Amino acid sequence: MLSYNFMQNALFVSVFISILCPCIGIFLVLRRYSMIGDTLSHASLAGVTIGLMCGQNPVLGAFLFTSFCGALIEFLRSYFKKYTDLILTVVLSLSVGTAITIISSGKLHANADSFLFGSILTVTKFDMAMVLILSLISVLTLIVLYHQMIYIAYDEEAAKVAGVRVRLINYIFSILVASAISISIRIVGVLVLSSMIALPVATALQLEKGFRHTFLFSIVFSFLDIMLGLFLSYYLNVAPGGFTALVSVAMLVLVLAGKQIAKRVRSFKGSPVS
Amino acid sequence: MFMIQASNLFFSYTGSPPYVLNDISLEISDGDYVSVVGENGCGKSTLMRLILKFIKPTGGAIESKAKRIGYVPQKNDFSNANFPITVSEMLHSYRKLLKIKDKSVVASGIAQVGMNGFENALVGTLSGGQGQKILIARALLGNPDLLILDEPSTGVDMESQKEIYGFLKKLNREKGITIVSVEHNLNAAIANSTFLYHLAAGRGHLCTPEQYTKEYLHGEKKGESNAQL
Repeated sequence: MLSYNFMQNALFVSVFISILCPCIGIFLVLRRYSMIGDTLSHASLAGVTIGLMCGQNPVLGAFLFTSFCGALIEFLRSYFKKYTDLILTVVLSLSVGTAITIISSGKLHANADSFLFGSILTVTKFDMAMVLILSLISVLTLIVLYHQMIYIAYDEEAAKVAGVRVRLINYIFSILVASAISISIRIVGVLVLSSMIALPVATALQLEKGFRHTFLFSIVFSFLDIMLGLFLSYYLNVAPGGFTALVSVAMLVLVLAGKQIAKRVRSFKGSPVS
Repeated sequence: MFMIQASNLFFSYTGSPPYVLNDISLEISDGDYVSVVGENGCGKSTLMRLILKFIKPTGGAIESKAKRIGYVPQKNDFSNANFPITVSEMLHSYRKLLKIKDKSVVASGIAQVGMNGFENALVGTLSGGQGQKILIARALLGNPDLLILDEPSTGVDMESQKEIYGFLKKLNREKGITIVSVEHNLNAAIANSTFLYHLAAGRGHLCTPEQYTKEYLHGEKKGESNAQL
């Protein structure tokens, strides 16, 4: 299987996706913003269609338009303080509206369908270069801003008192989210991308550990989900994105079940002998 | 020398009247322990947020000379009770934000509030009193000259309340840290503060604990304060 060139490319991109998505996802989930992932993945579809229409690389188009939408969400936050969920509806409407209008206009120079469901056949060398560059920039930025990001997610006011430039970091984070999404849409697809961002984190949270361990376990679960999804989808001849989402759900259910069993075993061991 | 000075301070969340804070002038000196008291909605927390610069005045000015501010939010304010973070991680991350290189300040901070042995506990699993102590330890990282607290006794059992107020008093009297505390606990405010700042209908009055007891609890202004004794 790995002798195929397209599979090697897919594997290369998948490794980066499996690291980057939970790195971004943990902050989105802990800030109760996991739906932003869903909104921005739809924004990436609009970016893909704009890129294809202009004859440019669709991943680049996705990155630019998703970054714009991420910054727009942050900007609108100060206008819709009491109805923040409305912001996502506004950006979702803008994105899906743009995507459908461009697709239905017939002006696309290529097919955008593969971005909806994800495909391992369509990863190009240019995509791989972009994945490498964006991933490295994102991971380096996350390392530099690690403690600031934790505090913005945990206690934004304390972060402000400590002198953290919360607004600026929120804008930078929007671009990181856009970067993770645009890297992932090729293989995972727009429709299930938010599950790659949220589910490994949801699974790691079940272990009830501190931040560092939750973070590391999110990456481990994400890697397992995506690798299993990629290889099994190859043998089953189905889209990798959809199948990876199923694997992620199965992993979450497994961990939840394991947790329940461990709890029962503990209470059984601890119960007094009659 | 003043630590906090407000002159002709107005604040309204809409930017126009009615004002939550209406023409307030206040001076808190270096080394004071001021408890801000008053009914719910009188503007206590708004005043605290103005000092912390979370919000800007609608009119007038408020200035703080503090080189470093320590802030203790209300423990119950956290919407993030299930956030996966240990006591040690929470304090070390904050240390990093304050750019303190010496790692040992975290261990000594934990010891200072008597929370040794809780380093690896998840913050969300701590009791009200334990959580409040850790928040105080965090606020004290970096040796602040001004400590601002938002209702430090909310959700805290009586025994821990005693410990916390005793510790705050010690910080103020022995280390000279200026303390501004938004208070519902009038008993604690009278027993520990050097001044009380009574807010009502957007206006404030700074007085000593003795004056407060005489005027608001036994004198002509009796009934203006419904804070819990």
